[in-house]
Amino acid sequence: MLGPSGCGKTTLLRLVAGLAAPEEGTIAIAGRDVTRVPPHRRNVGVVFQSYALFPHLTVAGNVAFGLSVRGRPREEIDRAVKRTLSLVRLEHLGARRVSALSGGQQQRVALARALAVGPEVLLFDEALSALDRNLREEMQVELQRLLREIGATAIFVTHDQDEALTMSDRIAVMNGGRIEQLADPKTLYERPATLFTLGFVGQSTRLRGTVAEAGDGMVAVDTAVGRVAAVGSYRAGSSVVVATRPEHLRVVAELAGHEGAEHARNSVDGRIRAVIFQGSRSRIEVAAGDQILLAEAPGRIASELNPGDAARLVWPVTETFAYPDPEARA
Amino acid sequence: MTAADLPVPSPVVSPAPDRERWLAIGFATPAALVLVVLFALPLALLFTASVAGPAGLTLSEYAKLATPHYLGVVWNSLRLALLTTGIAFLIGYPASFALARARGVLRSVMLASLFLPLAASVIVKAFAWTILLRSDGLVNTVLMALGLVDEPIRMIFTETALVVGAVNIFLPFMILPIYAVVAQLDHRLVEAAATLGASPAVAFVRVVMPLTLPGIVAGLALVFSLSVSAYVVPTLLIGERYPTLSTTIAKAFLLARQPGFGAAAGVALLAITLAAVALSARLGRSGGAR
Repeated sequence: MLGPSGCGKTTLLRLVAGLAAPEEGTIAIAGRDVTRVPPHRRNVGVVFQSYALFPHLTVAGNVAFGLSVRGRPREEIDRAVKRTLSLVRLEHLGARRVSALSGGQQQRVALARALAVGPEVLLFDEALSALDRNLREEMQVELQRLLREIGATAIFVTHDQDEALTMSDRIAVMNGGRIEQLADPKTLYERPATLFTLGFVGQSTRLRGTVAEAGDGMVAVDTAVGRVAAVGSYRAGSSVVVATRPEHLRVVAELAGHEGAEHARNSVDGRIRAVIFQGSRSRIEVAAGDQILLAEAPGRIASELNPGDAARLVWPVTETFAYPDPEARA
Repeated sequence: MTAADLPVPSPVVSPAPDRERWLAIGFATPAALVLVVLFALPLALLFTASVAGPAGLTLSEYAKLATPHYLGVVWNSLRLALLTTGIAFLIGYPASFALARARGVLRSVMLASLFLPLAASVIVKAFAWTILLRSDGLVNTVLMALGLVDEPIRMIFTETALVVGAVNIFLPFMILPIYAVVAQLDHRLVEAAATLGASPAVAFVRVVMPLTLPGIVAGLALVFSLSVSAYVVPTLLIGERYPTLSTTIAKAFLLARQPGFGAAAGVALLAITLAAVALSARLGRSGGAR
């Protein structure tokens, strides 16, 4: 579940865990209606944002807690604690106090504690956001390995689009308490269903305009930078926003070779405003009128571009999408 | 190992250790002086007096304490302290949670009702209880006016009155240290326990109780020390009929002119209090990791 803070994703997670009760609707886990089941009888595992480890217990004591309150025999608990701790590679720290651990280790204890009871669903509430970048990426890989190993369903709550794209089979983009789109990461990124999803996941260039011609699931839109063709079904005269991802925009020096009017492409002439080095690729901002268009290029090509140069941007029509303009008068 | 496990060089430059040590000693000196002059010295004198006989050192004053009568006195003190501490805990522990959960005006009112009585002298409060409880006091007047009883119930100068008064007076010392810990309690730990399968009752016993143990121990130790050595409360609420170590000490010094015996009883009382504090310090520590 991906969304900005305050969009309701944590509330939704708490509803699934049973820590909050819905006013209407039902919650089912593996087909069983658990709407009125208290959290301690739901068999979910929660990894909290703050980890919420028990400070009065050791690492092993924390991991054993769930089985211990279920009244399992001592030997079974010991075996499970050992197995789970080795799963998160902390078997050597069982006797430590949790306060003596680093952030990454605490995170893994929290995970082991949730895993030890064999939950039907694992819930992660911004569980990785407290870690620094390198550690977070390492934990993402490790978590994916673990979740594959145990084969449990996991629900992540995050505001970090990279984390969502990396970790998920399916992503629910949330906004204002509603799910904007539920899709696999590729679809979500390449075919965002709404303007919000487009803006929240990844970068994009957005141009406001009016539909001039429509037909066959395509529209031709008059924008501030000229006519742009896009995928979409709108009536002529509708106010729309056309958008595309920066990696589809190619920069061609304006004077170098006119490719002619290729109708499968959009093209806009402008002037390079900035070339931002980002490692393997560079981001290029092109000003056309009072619009800024975002393009991307491999470093080798970008190094030949200079701010102030005239440039033509071309991109495929099939990667251009039209959305209803949210600010247009109804 | 991950990057976060690597040792991080401390970015803070700390002052030279020598200077820090002298500063600490300097800051502690006034308090240490006060303790030595006003506390340690008199205690040493008291202890000397308790073992000083006409012919050198003697334990005869302590032997007097070991007689059935005075063992009864010691028991009276302990019984008063245990009853008071136990009842104050049963009332104070839930009250601390109510206090920690209250918000806004309600919380201010509750805190004020805890603190304000501390501003009134214990003598005033003890006398207030005698006014309430005596034969022609408020409680009996109301009971008789309602026709619930025909003649006044004897309440003042009973152990019940003594314990009721002591609980009332010492309750804030139970609630405040527990409240301080309960207010710090992270509610997410209780939620975590619930998601791990702990019912509310189990979560309370396994998480809330251990984590509030330091406050519980502090409250128990405070109320026990205060009530085992209480003087005004037993004097005004029960008097001669229930001699305690404190009233016995006062009598030995002020009336009977037996400073040696008074000193021995004083040392015994001190030993009981110290034992309670030591025991609680131990309990507080064992509340840690297991």
